[in-house]
Amino acid sequence: MAQHILNAVALGSVYLVFALGMALAWSTIGILNFAHGATFMFSAFTAHVVTQHVAMPMPAVVLVAVAAGALIATLTQVLAFGPIMRKATDHRSAELRILIGGIGVAAIPLAIAERVTASAPFGFRGSTYQAQVFEVLGLRMTTTVLVIVVAGIGIGVGVWRWLATSRQGLALRAIGVDSETASLMGVDRSTLALGTMATSGALAGLAGALLTFQLGAISPASGDQLLIKAFAIVVLGGLGSMGGVIVGAFVLAGAETFVLAMNQGTWVDAVSFGLIFVVLLLRPQGLFGRKEVRRT
Amino acid sequence: MRVPHRWRRLRRATACALVAVAAVVMSGCDAAQGGIATQEGIPKEIRLLGVRDQTGPVAYAGIGGARGGKLAISEINRSGFLGEGVKLTIEEIDTAGSIETASAEMAQATADRTVHAIMGPTQGQQAATVAPMVERAQVPTIFTQAGSDGVVINDYTFRATAPMASYYHLATEYLAEKRLRDVSVLYNATYPTFAEIGEGSFPKQADRHGLNIVSSTPVQSTTQDFTTPVRSIAGEDPDAVVMLLTEPQSVTALTQLRQAGYDGQVMGTSVQGGGNLTEAGKHGEGVIYPTDFSPALTSEKARDFVAAFRERFGRKPDVYAAEGYDGMWWLARAIKESGSASREGIKRGLQQVAKDGFEGVMGELTFEGNDMRVPGVLVRWNGTSEELVSDGGAS
Repeated sequence: MAQHILNAVALGSVYLVFALGMALAWSTIGILNFAHGATFMFSAFTAHVVTQHVAMPMPAVVLVAVAAGALIATLTQVLAFGPIMRKATDHRSAELRILIGGIGVAAIPLAIAERVTASAPFGFRGSTYQAQVFEVLGLRMTTTVLVIVVAGIGIGVGVWRWLATSRQGLALRAIGVDSETASLMGVDRSTLALGTMATSGALAGLAGALLTFQLGAISPASGDQLLIKAFAIVVLGGLGSMGGVIVGAFVLAGAETFVLAMNQGTWVDAVSFGLIFVVLLLRPQGLFGRKEVRRT
Repeated sequence: MRVPHRWRRLRRATACALVAVAAVVMSGCDAAQGGIATQEGIPKEIRLLGVRDQTGPVAYAGIGGARGGKLAISEINRSGFLGEGVKLTIEEIDTAGSIETASAEMAQATADRTVHAIMGPTQGQQAATVAPMVERAQVPTIFTQAGSDGVVINDYTFRATAPMASYYHLATEYLAEKRLRDVSVLYNATYPTFAEIGEGSFPKQADRHGLNIVSSTPVQSTTQDFTTPVRSIAGEDPDAVVMLLTEPQSVTALTQLRQAGYDGQVMGTSVQGGGNLTEAGKHGEGVIYPTDFSPALTSEKARDFVAAFRERFGRKPDVYAAEGYDGMWWLARAIKESGSASREGIKRGLQQVAKDGFEGVMGELTFEGNDMRVPGVLVRWNGTSEELVSDGGAS
């Protein structure tokens, strides 16, 4: 049982790092970025290409992926989402266009990775990092799992507290509630949007690197599968609540691990998403969302 | 002198019309040169279309098939196999992993009267969607991969890939021979080929050979992390694990299985071929799997194919390339057999060659109706390449 809980925590940590980036942009600057999965995948792919030429330790590989993720997300904001938001007549039409724009942006890195790899799995074989297996109190884990759990929970709590207590966090939350009023109060929306997207992309890159180390390899399509899960996590936790995202990630991972542990692997998606559906029937605003949907 | 605006417009319209007429005439000339595909006899140019994934999630199958086919075409043309000056040509059209694109491209391809035959989509759902279309248009179409039901459904649909289940007995026999009696099965239950083996043919074969299935663990195509199921399997400590998973899933499951402390035999599938285990590093070493083709095969045909493929593409051929190659030779033999490159002639020829069978790079090829069967081969991945375990008669 304890081993299953550990497995769920490890899986939840990966989901968390990935979903945090998406939730951050969605709940503050109002960007539901459907290119987040492609950013995740292409960051890992970039690190894969680099490790094919240079043998690097794990921190360096992670750094490359984080930098690639931040760069991709920044470019997405500058070249796609920024112009869309400037040209949109109202917030509603901007959201819809950003959603479609995200899908379009995602197609580009996906096509490149598929072309280069012929859709074969890729990993960090060129890295000098080798996962070590160890046992603590009868629980078997790898050093990769340890890094993922520490990074996942640490970053999750860090982002949550930063948004709740810092001045920039307050400014971002103000944009989430009412961007026009926030601007009138002196909040520089464009700069903060750029910074938020870069952070969101960096988190996607971090998730890409960590998950690739954990799984051994991912494929160009891996980001799409995670995107759906992240979407579900944010909705389950409650849009606007970083604490909700943390809980949502572990609830989803716990449900999946439970179903797998029961040897009912074909029911994983049905049970996990069914559970989310039930929660949303009872609490449409999500576990920690406010009744009135506000991005705070 | 300044030309009035309306006259300029008229001139431009006339020029456009002339260009359109010229294009029609040119395409007519092309058709005459290539031969209308319904005319009997063998024209100087036999035009084929490859309608399959060159990008998308299973691009590796389409790319491999196209490369194998191209190599076969160059050998067929160079050797004058179909007669002096007769040339096979092929144009590849990318279906990009999309059923809609495959359907639209196949509609165009079948309507093109200069197309003699088609090498069809490699993805099962795409192939099953276009198969009825092929019959309506009566264009002989050879599929590779596309292991789903509903693909080889009429006189015009043919498949140059043997179902995995038809040679998976090699794996069962090996486990029985090595007395690896307690077996755990980890399979992707949402992937038809693996579900069929995991739930149908393998349990039956295991029962026949006295193997004991300790556990059978289904997962989905969306499963990315295998920590939980492989920990359970490692806890059972079976003699062998039969792993029926897709490419990225295999790398992950193997890595996590070894990290969970399991060091027994892992039996995979042909999906592990083509170097797909490379990313698993040392965790992939020692995995054994049955496949329809391996570069390690020792027959003269296989050796020549591997050498020619390496020379042309700078890498070893994979199963997809071998299937594309044998599929193209099946087509060439069919044209020669019937003495006609018409669509009807090719269909007749393909059926006749299927009745007789022939030797390909995958070994002695036999057929069940329009569906290919191969002897199969059992190989071991040594971390960098495949080694022959038993050839099942393929060499």
